Amino acid sequence: MKTFSVSHKTVIVVDHCPYMAESSRQQIECDMLTKSRAQGVIPLAPVSKSLWTCAVECSMEYLRILYDIYPARKLDMSAHRDILACTVLQVNYIVSDSEFHILNSWRQEDQSVQELMSALAAVGPPNPREDPECCSILHGLVAAVESLCKITEYQHESRTTLMDMAERVANRGRIICLTNAKSDTHVRMLEDCVLETIQEQNKLAAGSDRLMPIQQCELVLVHIYPQGDDTLVSDRPKKEISSVLNSEVHSVRAGRHLASKLNVLVQQHFDLASTTITNIPMKEEQHANTSANYDVELLHHRDAHIEFIKSGMHSIFVFDQCIPDCVCTGDLHMAGSTSRDSGLKETVTLKWCTPRTNSVELHYCTGAFRISPVDVNSRPSSCLTNFLLNGRSVLLEQPRKSGSKVISHMLSCHGGEIFLHTLNSTRSTLEDPPSISEGCGGRVTDYRITDFGEFMRENRLTPFPDMPVDAAGRAPFERAKAQLERHTRYWPMIISQTTIFNMQAVVPLANLIVKDSMTEDDLLTCQKTVYNLVDMERKNDPLPISTVGSRGKGPKRDEQYRIMWNELETLVKTHVGTSERHQQVLECISACRSKPPEEEERKKRGRKREDKEDKTEKNGKESEEKGWAPDSERLKGAIEREKEEQSESEVIKDSPDSPEPFNKKPRLATEELLSLEKSKGPVSLLSLWTSRITQANSRKHQEFAGRINSVNNKAELYQHLKDENGMDVHENGKATR
Amino acid sequence: MPTVVLMDASLSMTRPVSLEGSEEFQRKNLAVHGLTMLFEHMATNYRLEFTALVVFSSLWELMVPFTRDYNTLQEALNNLEDYDKTCLESALQGVSNIVQQEWGSTCPCQVVLVTDGALGIGRGSLRHSLATMKQRGEDKKFPLPFPFPSKLYIMCISNAEELQATDAMDNLEQLLTLSGGEGHIFTMDGPLCLKSVQAMFGKLIDQAYTPFHAVLRCGNLASDVQVFPRPEPVLLDDEVDPVPKAVLTELEIVGFIEIGDIASPPVLSRHLVLPIAVNKEADEVGAGTTDDMEEDTSTNQMAGKSPNFCVLLHGSLKVEGMVALVQLGPDWYGMLYSQADSKKKSNLMMSLFEPGPEPLPWLGKISQLGPISDALENPYGEDDSKSPFPVQPKNKRSYAQNVTVWIKASGLQMCRKSSEMQENFQRKHKRSTRLVLYVVTQSKLPHEFTLDAFLIVKTVNCIPFFWAYLCVLKELNRLRKAALAFGFWELLKCVAELLERECTLLPDSAHPDAAFQLSHAAQQLKLASTGDSQYAAFEHNITPMLTDFSGGGGGADRM
Repeated sequence: MKTFSVSHKTVIVVDHCPYMAESSRQQIECDMLTKSRAQGVIPLAPVSKSLWTCAVECSMEYLRILYDIYPARKLDMSAHRDILACTVLQVNYIVSDSEFHILNSWRQEDQSVQELMSALAAVGPPNPREDPECCSILHGLVAAVESLCKITEYQHESRTTLMDMAERVANRGRIICLTNAKSDTHVRMLEDCVLETIQEQNKLAAGSDRLMPIQQCELVLVHIYPQGDDTLVSDRPKKEISSVLNSEVHSVRAGRHLASKLNVLVQQHFDLASTTITNIPMKEEQHANTSANYDVELLHHRDAHIEFIKSGMHSIFVFDQCIPDCVCTGDLHMAGSTSRDSGLKETVTLKWCTPRTNSVELHYCTGAFRISPVDVNSRPSSCLTNFLLNGRSVLLEQPRKSGSKVISHMLSCHGGEIFLHTLNSTRSTLEDPPSISEGCGGRVTDYRITDFGEFMRENRLTPFPDMPVDAAGRAPFERAKAQLERHTRYWPMIISQTTIFNMQAVVPLANLIVKDSMTEDDLLTCQKTVYNLVDMERKNDPLPISTVGSRGKGPKRDEQYRIMWNELETLVKTHVGTSERHQQVLECISACRSKPPEEEERKKRGRKREDKEDKTEKNGKESEEKGWAPDSERLKGAIEREKEEQSESEVIKDSPDSPEPFNKKPRLATEELLSLEKSKGPVSLLSLWTSRITQANSRKHQEFAGRINSVNNKAELYQHLKDENGMDVHENGKATR
Repeated sequence: MPTVVLMDASLSMTRPVSLEGSEEFQRKNLAVHGLTMLFEHMATNYRLEFTALVVFSSLWELMVPFTRDYNTLQEALNNLEDYDKTCLESALQGVSNIVQQEWGSTCPCQVVLVTDGALGIGRGSLRHSLATMKQRGEDKKFPLPFPFPSKLYIMCISNAEELQATDAMDNLEQLLTLSGGEGHIFTMDGPLCLKSVQAMFGKLIDQAYTPFHAVLRCGNLASDVQVFPRPEPVLLDDEVDPVPKAVLTELEIVGFIEIGDIASPPVLSRHLVLPIAVNKEADEVGAGTTDDMEEDTSTNQMAGKSPNFCVLLHGSLKVEGMVALVQLGPDWYGMLYSQADSKKKSNLMMSLFEPGPEPLPWLGKISQLGPISDALENPYGEDDSKSPFPVQPKNKRSYAQNVTVWIKASGLQMCRKSSEMQENFQRKHKRSTRLVLYVVTQSKLPHEFTLDAFLIVKTVNCIPFFWAYLCVLKELNRLRKAALAFGFWELLKCVAELLERECTLLPDSAHPDAAFQLSHAAQQLKLASTGDSQYAAFEHNITPMLTDFSGGGGGADRM
């Protein structure tokens, strides 16, 4: 359906002339009291609806279905179409007697059944005593054409948006006229009148800003006559009266025949189709533990059957596969001629399928279409809709006599609206893809999956319908992106790349520093976190430095703290420009972190290392510092490779001066334990004890200088020789965690 | 998007190509050469594509069913035999059947037709098919357009002049238009030789088989990815907005949403998001040279060991049961999620929503989704017990409210309640009392439970009459509104009479107020049925009459 097809504008014109007050002669026995209690009570006389009542209630049913499936939506400048409501459809309701009464306008807020009900109550039934001479449906038809010329808000918005291409916005419409015509000649007279009015109005509209000429109009004349009478008007299929006007005539008996006719029309006019859900298990009220199976018929957009339609039309083979399983009831063009009240041309039967699906499953769904039950008040319908409205979903399968079951649809409710989802039931072209573990980064095992999960929860979205833009003029989704940017300024992806994010003690600061604005309290918390870290360092508490990729037990404690401080600084530095308080956090860190004398000595080198870390982590964001000796450049490369491949041989190959590949020898038990302690995971009691003892012992004596600088209790001899060569492989090796 | 290669194996394909000096080629050899090039390209750069090979002459045969094994395809191509005359229509019908059997009728498909442009003579020729197309019944329709979305690429092993000399070009153009216009006709430039066939297939590869590379971003975290199958541009509305929208090569994550909240949304298409290692040096040297292959694998191995954002994202999406909302272009969004196949291999997938600012009504407008930290209180609750989704529409649908529809006569039948109804009522309201109920039911179905109205005229002891009466009035008011709107005054009179008759039938044990209230209600309905504006106002509601018995006291207190 195109955006501005004839369905964009519908005008319903209902005849309100005295003859419409005539009875439809379809008698309804309201009084069922006497059936259950025959006590000589005289039953009340049956009631019957007037032609007017029949016309009004059927047109309201037409609108009920229309608004269920194409609800009135708020206007949107750029929303030309969306999958769930293909177009904006609008209805104008006019009644006609001695004059016309327009009951609503093209405005969106007027597009509701409740509004119209209230307006109709004000009009009331036709007055049979009014002078038939001055009453005519013509008043209404003229008003309908005038109304079609009026521009809708949506057309206006589209024209404004498209600017120079405004001529693309078309003006087409449909007039549904419910009346009681005298004869075929009368009908022709009505058609001529509509055509003339269109021509007149188009001339008028050409010179107006708020009017648009009608390019195409479809006139649907429904002649209603009482039951038992012979019709004076004959049916006529759609025929072109002129290039702008098509007309069709339906001659229908009042009552349920009229209802079926309008049901067929609403489907034709708005591309609807019918699905019957069968085998719905429902508890019997009388016998609560048994259940009977019921059927419920739903209407929805035709595209929900696209798979059936296409395969049925084009290939006899697939037709064999699908269509015979879907019951197609015969063509019910003669509304009311069969026992089925719905009067549908055809319906596709789908079976209720157990087990039900759960909401955390993500189905591959190719379409979702709003539904409306045909018989909205019947018990099976309301049972089904209530079940769905409570938030449950039902899978639907194609009924088949044999073979595996094919689940092709799902009924599900989202926010008080029920949708028929079409599920893909054919083979996927994406089957058997390479697993993510086989691709880039697939072999890395220590991703911070849990931390990123936490990050995602913090970056969940929520609607802000009342706050389109903030003070800085950013829409909510732009604020969401800005938040993601802030939160990822420093975000190492793997556990072994980070120390601070493995420390519980840093959490408060890490959470606060990413905020757009910090309060005084936040600043205090950050400072406290820093003091706490200083305290830890003073107590020489162990840090969760990862030993992955480094040799032996990793860097020494003071080295660990240095790494930790550096990393913390890196994190805070990325936010320093955000506000004054962010700056203060950095100042606090710089002031607090200890810089022992030997640290000062190594400062320059350390800083360079730091830069390098930053570089690897932030994807080369910072420019490389100048002045690297070619040797250390080479060394840097070597270390990187070592980290990445955990291969010692590389280092040895690259720097012949480095120690023997001791790691290949079996390690001592204590070393194992020590390194274990520093890696993630639970620590055994033995290792705790051992480390404690070792710590206690170490305080009692001064450590042998060689051992302090050793790796895995192996000290390298004649280091000075190498120092004279200007290189310290060993230190560097250790420093990379 | 699967591919069907439809290869002309008619005798005319064996026509020799005149070349000076070198060995003699047939047109078939040129076609095979071109296809070999295509298959080689796909094997290296597009290896997830499913391809089938069909050959045709007056009959057609599926040589290789859909596969990703390009060796098999190549082998079949090398063993082609020569057959009789060209009959394109039946071959196209064959393609249609093969695709629908394998992928259904919604999966888009590419058809590569390789022919020499000699489209047959007499019955069964394309000319004949096109000429007779309009005079056929439903059962013998021309196979184009295919029921599935398709692109038709016609590779002509001849040059444009040759085709234009006959009506072949016109016929092929007509064929392309019939198929829906998506696709292209390729002809060879210059003399028919290996070089020009390579150039022609090179153009096809550029147009249809270049991999889609993009950068997936989440703030400062990013990864180079290939999106497969490549996302095709989408045409929204050819009347108002005739320019197709294409996916940008910068995919930016907006935020995250729980799977339960996004709730199986409808999508246009699904794509694998595969992290790739961008080998910058190789790019500089010039990609595509064959001896890069070995280097390529080693780069891939290296890449396997360096952390990649896609893997991190995939892992967390899987563990948390969430999706990432990703922006694909202006007012176009999609979602990223972890998808596991039957073999428990899982992957990062991207689904594209319909372009537009509000692809899913239950999320509202995407541009109005913001970070939870901006909300006054966490909309998910402190313990994740709540959710801001789904967004509720302003108006309820008919099935979610108490609408009145009287189209079926059964909707208007009023009967005196039988005992089940009474039990149900008691169970529902947890009152142990005997009630006599009068009901207006909606339907004749047994045990009908959707009531339009139930009238309680007698209570014994426990249920306060006043309370029961309010229930009745609520239903009566609904009935009254509908009757007024439909101009069905006769019904109002009928119900009024019914109530009045009940007054006369009240048993001795009835509440003293019952008769007063019932006749009051009856009176009000009667007044409404006169159409007198004072009583027939739509918004007016019948309220209980104040009597000494109801007195606002006892009954109301116990409600």
